Amino acid sequence: MRVPYLHKADIEAAANELLMSYHYKFGMEEAPPVPVEEILESLLGLALEFDDLDALLNKKGVLGATWVNERRVVINEMLDPTEDPSVEGRYRFTLAHELGHWQLHRHLSFDEDGQTILCRSKSKKDPMEWQADCFAGYLLMPKKDVIRSWEEVFGTHDPYDASEELYNMQSRFDEAGEASEEGLVVDLARDLAEVFQVSGLAMQIRLVDMGLLKLR
Amino acid sequence: MFIRSMREEKKKRDPAYSLRKFAEAAGISATFMSKVENGEFDPPAPDKIKKMAELLEVNSDELLAMAGKVDPDLSGIIRDQPRAMADFLRTARDLNLGRKEIEALTDKLRAERGLDPSE
Repeated sequence: MRVPYLHKADIEAAANELLMSYHYKFGMEEAPPVPVEEILESLLGLALEFDDLDALLNKKGVLGATWVNERRVVINEMLDPTEDPSVEGRYRFTLAHELGHWQLHRHLSFDEDGQTILCRSKSKKDPMEWQADCFAGYLLMPKKDVIRSWEEVFGTHDPYDASEELYNMQSRFDEAGEASEEGLVVDLARDLAEVFQVSGLAMQIRLVDMGLLKLR
Repeated sequence: MFIRSMREEKKKRDPAYSLRKFAEAAGISATFMSKVENGEFDPPAPDKIKKMAELLEVNSDELLAMAGKVDPDLSGIIRDQPRAMADFLRTARDLNLGRKEIEALTDKLRAERGLDPSE
């Protein structure tokens, strides 16, 4: 299947539009964290479920799946934040990723039997997965909210050069002889991640992308 | 299951009825709630179902019955007056009293004793 090329700006616009329609319909606070569950369930009216996706799809490492025709999103029960609060960030990102598939890909034609399932696994990085990840970042960390939080915390627009901090972290890790699977996250990204309820790494990637954080 | 369709009806107008908020308000995990809605798990304990009925603004005895349960306070009522109360209920059943008749009877008793009419 051919996945049309989408520019980052198009994906960001699609994420902002979805968020705006939510606030237009339901009002509520326009401060982070972004209400991803409410967008999925109330605005789009999709069914949300938790289940053992490994068993259901007979496949390992699937974090979320969307059955387009059934208007149903299933999240791996390993990511249920009401059972394990430490997975909150990864849960929200997975949900936002599935929303990305819904907004960007549900109209694409899939296999002929009409059973359209879109999955998110850890490893796969085809264009569709990349686009959905990109969408998730924009939806969970909208530009204006990130800038506002940055100003509130640091009192300035200026970017922060974290290359030295990162270098020190890196050498500490090297001494310990263990490489971090998730990558190294600077304190500042970790702090802002709390506000947006995303993982430290997702926050850091967003800040670098916006030019607010320099890592090298 | 019926709880899902009731909740989905509500959630489209009110984001407070999201799976997670609803599960948390009922005092269970989102996964548990999801599997109850799927029919994969048996319905939870009566107190959780009563809480759900309250959240969904439906009659709790009706919701309990749909889940194949009765309110524990009812078995207490029967235990307190085992012979008379059981006889009372069986008589109503043997006479094939319909909903309207039972309600009329209840309202009559309530009126006689100066209680507000039942819902």
